[in-house]
Order: sequence, then structure tokens, then C-alpha cells
Amino acid sequence: MKPLKIGITGVRGVVGEAFTPELAVGFAQAFATYIDGGRILVSRDTRPSGPMVHAAVCSGLLAAGCEVIDLGICPTPSMQLALNFLGADGGIAITAGHNPSQWNALKFVRADGLYLNATQGEELLDIYHQGEFLKTRWDTIKTDISTANVIPHHIEKLRAAFDVELIRSRHLTVAVDCCNGGCALLSPDWLRELGCEVLALNDDPTAPFPHNPEPKPENMAQLRAVVKAGHADIGFAHDADGERLGIVTELGQPLSEELTLPIAAKIRWDNKRGPIVTNVSTGSRIDRLASRYGTTVIRTPVGQPFISEAIIENSAVLGGEGSGGIAVPEIHPTHDSAAAIGLILEYLAGTQATISELVKELPQVTMLKYNVEVEPNRLYSVLQNFRLLVERARLDHDLTDGIKVNLDDGWVHVRASNTESMIRVIVEGTDSTAAQKLIDWARDRLRK
Amino acid sequence: MRALPTLKISISGVRGVIGDSLTPILLTRFAQAFGTYVGSGTIVIGRDPRTSGEMVKQAVIAGLLSSGCRVVDVGMCPVPTVQLMVRARSAQGGLAITASHNPAEWNALKFIGADGTFLGPAYAREMLDIYHQGEYVKVAGKDMRAVEVVAGATDLHIKTILDALGPLPDKGRRLRVVLDACNGAGSIVGPKLLETLGAEVIAINDQPNGQFPRGAEPIPANLGALCDAVKQHGADIGFAQDMDADRLAIVSEAGEPIGEDYTLVLAVLHVLGREPGPVVANLSTTQALDFVADLFHCPLFRTKIGEANVTEGMQRENAVIGGEGNGGVIYPRINFARDSLVGMALVLHLLAERGVSLSKILQELPSLFMLKEKLTCPSHKIGEVLKMVRKTYADSPIDLTDGVKVILPNGWLHVRGSNTEPIIRLSAEATSENEVRQIRDSVFESMREIISKK
Repeated sequence: MKPLKIGITGVRGVVGEAFTPELAVGFAQAFATYIDGGRILVSRDTRPSGPMVHAAVCSGLLAAGCEVIDLGICPTPSMQLALNFLGADGGIAITAGHNPSQWNALKFVRADGLYLNATQGEELLDIYHQGEFLKTRWDTIKTDISTANVIPHHIEKLRAAFDVELIRSRHLTVAVDCCNGGCALLSPDWLRELGCEVLALNDDPTAPFPHNPEPKPENMAQLRAVVKAGHADIGFAHDADGERLGIVTELGQPLSEELTLPIAAKIRWDNKRGPIVTNVSTGSRIDRLASRYGTTVIRTPVGQPFISEAIIENSAVLGGEGSGGIAVPEIHPTHDSAAAIGLILEYLAGTQATISELVKELPQVTMLKYNVEVEPNRLYSVLQNFRLLVERARLDHDLTDGIKVNLDDGWVHVRASNTESMIRVIVEGTDSTAAQKLIDWARDRLRK
Repeated sequence: MRALPTLKISISGVRGVIGDSLTPILLTRFAQAFGTYVGSGTIVIGRDPRTSGEMVKQAVIAGLLSSGCRVVDVGMCPVPTVQLMVRARSAQGGLAITASHNPAEWNALKFIGADGTFLGPAYAREMLDIYHQGEYVKVAGKDMRAVEVVAGATDLHIKTILDALGPLPDKGRRLRVVLDACNGAGSIVGPKLLETLGAEVIAINDQPNGQFPRGAEPIPANLGALCDAVKQHGADIGFAQDMDADRLAIVSEAGEPIGEDYTLVLAVLHVLGREPGPVVANLSTTQALDFVADLFHCPLFRTKIGEANVTEGMQRENAVIGGEGNGGVIYPRINFARDSLVGMALVLHLLAERGVSLSKILQELPSLFMLKEKLTCPSHKIGEVLKMVRKTYADSPIDLTDGVKVILPNGWLHVRGSNTEPIIRLSAEATSENEVRQIRDSVFESMREIISKK
């Protein structure tokens, strides 16, 4: 079976297989119908299928009578911020974020700049399946597509949220790997705005991805080398569309993407009290940090819309996920790696501490991740079997998203990927031996 | 009677109404079918200024890129420019986004082969089979090719015409021309061409905004403004283009439409005078063309209606010029396409060389009267109408190449179903206005009756 994921994070698939122009046209029409026409922003990342998907989306939107503003290659958070600024009614981001190059996806953004939530996503799907879309006549159809560069506006918003003068005064040296993605057009400029000496690599949006765009240690070899060679104070790794952030310390040590959120949380809680939102799959360092600061962590199902809505609902001071996505509410309650960069550099500048010193202060745990590839049609039966085993054994568990099992020496979280045909297993143990045991425990129960 | 479908999928392309039948999904599928058909090669695309042009173009680009094509986008321009660019870029095909003379709510895709001509019936059928089969080439992202946006295609078009024909001969005074571009694709290139040739140009309806200032067909009923402007400016000639600038109609210095058919007649008169050779026209084109061909002892061949049929006939007969009575001039030395720009250049050269008025030149030609009618007609009634025409003229010579053409002692009558709209067309020609009316009336009432009865 060919992988196609139609779900809460939008519609995602491999181009040339299940992700066809018809699918992109149909979803653009359905989205236009859902928001009842109006002004729609369209952005894309740098994947080679981007122009094809972009053309399909534009035709669907125009046919439904929408006014299309093409933001070109642009980080998704820049587009999300521009919704309000340009008075738009919705946005479509053409990006498969951290997925490999052969994938592409549509992500749907509401007028407030946030992704459609689960209920809204379901309604959109119903419209898509019903297949009756808004249509416009020849005398009301928009005759052209206008363009806008909204990245300067994003930088403006970022400047307003951080102590730019303080950061400038430190003249930090920062390496940044843009993965030849959308951030190539944002991050180096933002860092220069902050008075940094910028060592940019993979900052050509016309070139292919140099490595998989997931900002994980295994994809940070180049960044580590540049940090070391350039004696940088820190290195940042972006995904393709500017949501997730990975970090390399000044010692050239690549940090697990799981550490981005605890780092940001510690920085936040040093200055501000209030809840932080994350999903059930994110490690327990954040809980231990919270008890250190006497504050709370709010857990949501996996998926950005849940994080965004919980940030607003709880007036949270930060949101984020173990995947490296950080939301700084002063800018917007949605993942924005450029905002995370501002937060971290402000801390480094203010405290004169190094990033590796900060990491040492975080609670220590070992987290392991393991993916089980499963045929799309078997995904849910495999999960169901796992759940039955857990329930029969009367283990303490949480069903907010997939199945999270709390065991004596850590926890195991098993869930279907929102984006690919696989089951993701995440475990956290007190040390590496304990973590490996937890992985084995889960793997045994997923095989049956 | 049920509503007539507004979608027309035929060997001349796919046509439909925006907001109704011509959906982006249908368009992107057709583009994929075409991309598959041409083997993922280079495709030149261009569009007329219809309001839906951008939507259609985006759907087409998505489909072509998905099927692995390299897209050369020449932007808004006449259809013949797209055809010219296919040859100039050695592309594997072209796709013109235009519903030519259909009203503003329509749009269409027309498919062009590697030789710059519209896909002939056999090839178009193969392409339609691929469309209906629904299995299109789909390439992975890494194998997708870019869209190349090309500016200046119309300048190349003008240069090609000038290189072939040269500027107008200098006879001491510049010809004064009024051009009515119907706010169509011709707006962006017609005035420049005429000036480059050396004429003085007054342009009307030259805003390419997709708003039709008049009926899109350059038929006499739609040319009132042009006739007035020709008289007002004391011009030597008036030219009228359609939306996609393939057809050309002419108004004389007296402010009189000379009839669409005479565009081709004048162009042929000029070309045969310099390079005699075979001429090809469709069945419905005026008999004045036979007169001109005889004048130069050149053979004239007739084909079915439709540009693809005429160009196929021209290739077969190695014609020096050809075209259609609706104002479509095809001059293969410049462009294997109905090309109003080429038509204007040829007729202006004729006028400049002769140094007399257009009316004078027309006096040398036989005076014939033509009538054209159309009736909305559901497809299942077409056969019955044609049968009635044959029965009415059971004793006259009949040509069944396309619909029914009856050869009469004083003229002819031609009735056929349209390829592009749910209508049936009647044309007739005779030596007097009275006679041509009589010919029409001999079948017209019966046609109405057949169509309107349950």
C-alpha cells in the first residue's frame, strides 16, 4: 500500500505516488469551501515538488473564488504571523516539515494564524469527501495571484519580543544549518539582526536537502564541524519549514531534539512563572524541572493544534514538543524555531553562561525512540492488540494519545505516527540500561 | 428537455464553463494526460486574457509538472504565438488556454503537437484515450522539472513575420490602420506589429482584461465600433481580431465589413501572386477562393472544418497557403497556425503594393453573398437535421465530408454540428442576397422544428 496520511496535521504523502495534483486541488477547494472563500495565503518549503503542489493549490483556491496571496518560499511560522497582518482568512502551507524530500503535505491555517484543530480538521475532511465545493463564475473569479514577502514582518515581530540590544552587545558567533529549507530566507537575517556573526550552512533554498530535515543528532554532522571550526557559541539546526529546532553546543556536542524544550523551559521559568504546555509523548525532564520551579506542565495529545489551544486556554508561558518545536506565546502560540533562537540567545547574552553549562543543569534521564513500520491497513489493529495486553496486565496507562504506560523504572509511549505509516515507540528510563529494557518490553508486545 | 451539458470534450480540445463544468481537477487531469502523451517532454503554455486564465493555467502547470514535463510559460499571448514558440523552442508540445470565440464564461485547453499545429483527429483521440484510461505518468519530486517563464515571445513572433515579409513598401505615404483587438490577446502585440511594419495605428478595445467589449466573433454584427472608427479616422483599413487572435476580419476604407471569408481571399491573392502553389480551405469557405486560385492556375483543396483538419490537408498537399472562411489565415512559411498577425501583414502588403483602395481590390473579385446561422441543438438531433437536409436536396450533388454540403447551380448550402459548442451551424453562399436567403429558408424552418419537437 502507498502511504497517504490524511489527518489532523493536514494531508501528507509521497509525490509521484499517493500525493497527486488532483488531491492537492481537491483539498484546496475543500479548504476554500470550509472557510467560505476570502483571502488565502499560500507558502511553501523548498522541496522539488513544491511548484507542482503550489500550482495545484492555487488553481483550486482560484476556482473557489478565493483571492490568493503567494508568499513563495517562506517558513510556515512567517506565514502564520502574516494572516493577521495581511487580513487573510486562511492559509495553506505546502510543506512536509521534517519528512524526507520525497514527501509533501498541505497544512491548513485559520484566520488567527493557528492550525485547524481536530474538530475543524474533521469538518474539512467531510467537505473534501462530500466533494461539493464552492465555485465561482467567470465574472467573480480572481484574475491573478499577488505576491508578498512576509519574512521582514516576522523579523519585526521577533525583534519586539526580545532584548535585541542585549543580544547585540555579546557579539555571539552562531552556526546555523538551514537544511536548504525555508529558514534559509529567515534565520541568517534574524541572527544578523541580533548582531551575531553568522556561520550559515545549507542556506541555498534552490538546492536539494543536504540531509533529512529532522533536526536530530544524526543529521547534525556538518553543523558540529562548523561549530567547532568556527568556534561558535552555539549551533542551530532547522527543519524544512521553520518549526523544529535542534541544537549543537559550543563544544560541538549535538543535543537530542528532546532537549530543546527543557532548555527553553528552564530559560522561561528562570524569569517567569506559569504553566508550560507539551504533549504526552515528551519526556519527563520537563516535569522534574516544573517541580524544581514549583510550577506545572499541561499535557495534550500529540499535534500542534492541541498545544496552541492549550497555551491560550491556560495562559501558558511556553509550549513545545519533544520533537524540537517551541512556541513562544508573546510572538504566537505555535511552533517557531526563529522565536526559540531568540529566547536561547537572549539567555546566553543575559547570563554570560554557555549552552553546555545550561544543559548540565537539566534533570538527567535517558530517552530512546524506536519506530515500527507497519502496513497502513494494519496500524490500528497492532495498536489495539498492544492496548489489550496493557489493560489485561492492569498496568497504569494513559490514552490521551495512543497508549502511554507508566512502569516502575520509567514510561513507554506507543502511538501511530500522524505523518507516516509507522508506530512510534518512545521510552524514558532512569539510565540507558533501563531505557533499552523498556524498548524491548514494548517491541515484544507490538509483535504479537 | 434536459439542460445541455456545458462540457465539450472532443478532438479539438476540452471546453467548458467556469464555475460549472470546467473544474480545476478536470483541467489538471487533462494536463497529466497530455504530459503522459508527449512522453514528459517540454511543453509551451500560453493563455488568452479571459478572467479564468490564471486558474486554468495553475491547474495545467500542476498536471504537467506531475507528469514530468518541463513547462515553458509564455504568459498571456495570442494562440498562434504559442504555436510559433513550440517550434522555436523545439518543444514536444504546446497547450493553449483559450476558448477562442466562445463567450467570456467559457475557457478551454487546445493541444498542440511538436510541429506547432493542433493535434490532428487521430492523435487527439489517442490523447483522449489516455485521459479516459486515467493512468498518468507521475514522477517523484526529485525528477520534477521547473517552470521557465519566458518574456518576449510576442516580440519573436513580430520578428519572424518581419523577417519573412519585410516592412511595407514605401509608396510615399503610410497606411492608416484601425485595430479592434476585442480586449484580447492581440492587444499586446497587434499595435506593435503594425507599427513595426510601417503603418500608422489607431487601436481600440486594446485592454487585455478578459472583459469582452463586443461579441467575441469578428462577424459584421460585432464590428460597429470599428466601422465608425475607420470612418472617423479616414483609415485605409480596419482589422478585427478575436479573443485569442487567431481569426481576423476586415473593414474597408468605406467603413464596411467585407465579410470574414474575404480575409483569406485577400491573403491568398497576395501570396499566390508571388509564390503560386496549392491552396487548402475548409468546406464552408467562400467560392471566391476558387476564383482566385483559378486566376493563378493553382489547385484548391477542401477539408473538414477545424484548424487541425485544414493544417493536415495543407501538409498533405504541400500548400503555400490555406485557412478557413471564419478569418483564419495559415501561412506555413511563418507559422503553421491560423494567425491574425500574419493575416494583417499579408493584407497590408497587398494593399501597399497595389497602391489602391481596398474597395478597388474587392471589385476585381466575384461578388458573392454569404449567410451564416446557428441553432442550439442537442447532439441526438443533429443526425435527424442532416437527414432532412439530404432529403430536401436529394437530386443535388452532395458532399458528406463534414455534415452535409449541397452544391447548387447558383451557390452552396452547408449544415453541420459544431465540434466546440452544442449548436448546429448553417452556411450558404449565392450570387445575390435574395438567392442566399432562399437557400437558407429552404431548410431553416424544418431545422427549427426538428430541434424543438419533443
